[in-house]
Amino acid sequence: MITPATAETVLTTARTGGADFAELYVERWRRRSLRTIDAKVEEANSAIEFGGGLRLFFGTDVVYAFTNDLSDASLGALVETLLRLRDGETGRVDAAGRGGLDLRRASATGLHAPLVTFDERDKGWRLERLRELDAGARVEPPVRQVEGRLLEWEQDVLVANSEGAWVTDRRVRTRCVASAIATDGDQTQTGHHGPGLSMGLELFDRHPAADIGRVAGEQAMANLRGKPAPAGTMPVVIGNAFGGVIFHEALGHLVETTAVARKASVLTDKVGERVASPVVTYVDDGTTPNGWGSSEFDDEAAPTERTVLIDRGILVSYMVDRLGALQTGYRPTGSGRRQDYTFAPTSRMRNTFITPGETPRDDLFAGIERGLYAKALGGGQVMPGSGEYNFAVTEGYMIRDGRIEESVRGAMLVGKGPDTIMKVDAVSDDLTTSPGMCGSRSGSLPVEVGQPHLRVSEIVVGGEA
Amino acid sequence: MTFEQAKDYLVSQARARSVDVEVLANAQRRLSVSMHDGRIAELTHATQGGVGVRAVIDGKVGYASTESLDEESLTWVLDEAIENAALQAGEGAVMLEGRALGRHDLLGEGLSAPVEQKVAGIKSLEAGLRADARVDAIAFASYAETETQAVIGSTLGADGGYRNGYAYYAASPVMKRGDSTKQGWDVDFSKEFHALDPGRTTQSILRRVGRHLGATPLPTGRYRAYFESEVTGALLGLLLYSLSGKTLAEGKSRLAGKLGARIASDLVSIVDDPTLPDGPASRPFDAEGTPARRTEIVSRGVLRSFLHNSDTARRTGQPNTGHASRSYASTLGVAPSNFMLETGAGVELTDGVIVTDLMGVHAGANPITGDASLQGLGLRVEGGETRPVENFALSFNLFSLLERIDEIGAESKWLPMSNLVRAPMIALDDLSFSGA
Repeated sequence: MITPATAETVLTTARTGGADFAELYVERWRRRSLRTIDAKVEEANSAIEFGGGLRLFFGTDVVYAFTNDLSDASLGALVETLLRLRDGETGRVDAAGRGGLDLRRASATGLHAPLVTFDERDKGWRLERLRELDAGARVEPPVRQVEGRLLEWEQDVLVANSEGAWVTDRRVRTRCVASAIATDGDQTQTGHHGPGLSMGLELFDRHPAADIGRVAGEQAMANLRGKPAPAGTMPVVIGNAFGGVIFHEALGHLVETTAVARKASVLTDKVGERVASPVVTYVDDGTTPNGWGSSEFDDEAAPTERTVLIDRGILVSYMVDRLGALQTGYRPTGSGRRQDYTFAPTSRMRNTFITPGETPRDDLFAGIERGLYAKALGGGQVMPGSGEYNFAVTEGYMIRDGRIEESVRGAMLVGKGPDTIMKVDAVSDDLTTSPGMCGSRSGSLPVEVGQPHLRVSEIVVGGEA
Repeated sequence: MTFEQAKDYLVSQARARSVDVEVLANAQRRLSVSMHDGRIAELTHATQGGVGVRAVIDGKVGYASTESLDEESLTWVLDEAIENAALQAGEGAVMLEGRALGRHDLLGEGLSAPVEQKVAGIKSLEAGLRADARVDAIAFASYAETETQAVIGSTLGADGGYRNGYAYYAASPVMKRGDSTKQGWDVDFSKEFHALDPGRTTQSILRRVGRHLGATPLPTGRYRAYFESEVTGALLGLLLYSLSGKTLAEGKSRLAGKLGARIASDLVSIVDDPTLPDGPASRPFDAEGTPARRTEIVSRGVLRSFLHNSDTARRTGQPNTGHASRSYASTLGVAPSNFMLETGAGVELTDGVIVTDLMGVHAGANPITGDASLQGLGLRVEGGETRPVENFALSFNLFSLLERIDEIGAESKWLPMSNLVRAPMIALDDLSFSGA
């Protein structure tokens, strides 16, 4: 994408011009999206995104610029402009930058490499999968409309920096999403299911298209049959997989240095303190094989790692990027991520989940006289500083005397993340994760959220009845 | 490859395969500098561009795009666009016959001043705001400039290109006097950096925001309403939804079937003119290569035209007005260029409420029905005096409001809404204000 000589010239010019640290990020990203409604193609698009971003540090002041003209002349002009825009202020000029760079190469070993590559299989094969999805979703006649989406990414990334890093990584991701709409005259309800992994089209070996559709169709039907959810404070069993979205939003974001460095999080300066119930261990893992949020290196050339955030209730680490480490003094955790070259990186989640506990799943329900089983969750809102949240339950059931009974619709879970995590009183052993897109300061990123089934002793449920 | 070379390469490859394609390349260079307490708080220096292919095969359309201009990427994009077209269910699309459209530079040296002068400009603007004792904080103070370049080519003969751009200062101070706190913003917009004046913008912002300090609640009632340019501009943005040929083709326009009918007071004339020499959104041709011309949309209250591209024109049986929009990475749409409500004889402020700000036009107004209920900020004009008023909501229907306009201002202003619009002040009687 660029030569080491080009990178060296740009990075050295930045250093001798007064920057304490310089980093060049280059990517070429091929994408396809195919969308069907009722098995007919609604949209088919293909794109190559290509460009580079240059980031300079002056102490903890950061400037960022990007371009998709990666010629020597263009990159030279870019670094020149950034230095001029510093308006005469310079960081400390370090002689080390003047002697040239000894770029140390590292590249991904293929931990998440696809079995079916981006250029294999024709478009007809892909469309056939979405037709299977469509048929699978029509579990009962009230399912009237089915949307299928197939997203394929192949992203090649190069990160070089003035400390001598030269890292290349290929990230291949595939996701297939089904949405079903069921109608019975008065009511219209929806269901969704969308597995995605860091792999190629072999995604469909793990998740057959018809199954993806079926899960969405069954969820739409459960909602259609559901009675309005009750309101009140009650014990709640939160389902595994995407159930983890609550703790992603209302806990995970609070332990990114992006929030901690600005003291904009209630969990600032809490390392070593009890922040969760002792049954909770919370991990952010960038190394999960084929995980939707996995990569071998982060977008700052650091190897990813498995970071334990909360160990049996005690906060042990934040998620730390390079700038966050400079600002807070915490050890970097390979958490610097960005959507693409148009964003500077910041500390972000990768695959974040609560680890398995020891309570058999069925025992979570035992002893609940009246409660809610939030089997699947949808979108929600969170106040970033306080962790106050509300989330829609997209598939829910009443629990009575330890039994899962009728489905309910329209339930909302309302609370504060740091309080709710204290009230988790039992965690099951059936950890699964689920993909999502997480939006924050450095753009929209693929992440996994996850957890085993777990029980919260009480949550405020907002309902209609 | 350059954009020109990439376009030529794709067109010749498509001809060799006997496939009809339209190739659109565009690029944008953007510089923005924000100041905080006399220091640069944030800066963006970015160039981004690419090439998009729209292939029309047997009435089916396929798209693909690339930001990388090497042969391998361009070949992949052409293959993908052709395959994507073959998958489509829809039919009947056509590609326009093209022609030589020339090369046009609409910007010249307008933005060529050294970057240091631009930084100095925004620095003095921010310092000017801070020097005012009533300024409690500055939410943002920025300079930004954008230069755009577009190139089009097709297998049916379209071939052209142009360059345009603009610069602006924008700032939003929080001002305080006693218990009264007000935040507002203003923007000064030009195709020439040297035509911008940070001192003038500073004074204008301080006046615009400062005049609201000490506002008292407005009693509920019906008042004569004077909408400042910014508010008129927001309403024009709302009206654009119903004037779009795309909305019409999808059956969602309230103005369907009204061509030739009166839809506004006879003072109202609306035009879209991409040929305007000083228009920030001027262009010699649209995204399908249709040459630019002035379109009368509303003439003295009568609806004369919607905004169409070739596709919406075909689907509605109306003439193509040359309003195709597309970036390299997007699909064909409809967009205005320099969209203007024409100025009138002037407004005499007698008795009523000058509405200076309307909040939440995106969320609080229904573009389909035109029904709006929005929170406003303004000035009460009474007995030859004006005083600031707050905490009121305006409820109206856009379409009936248009019919009731009885005065239009003699001056107007460019406003960077989601589209660029130029709007004067408008006035009408007997509007419902719910306040204290």
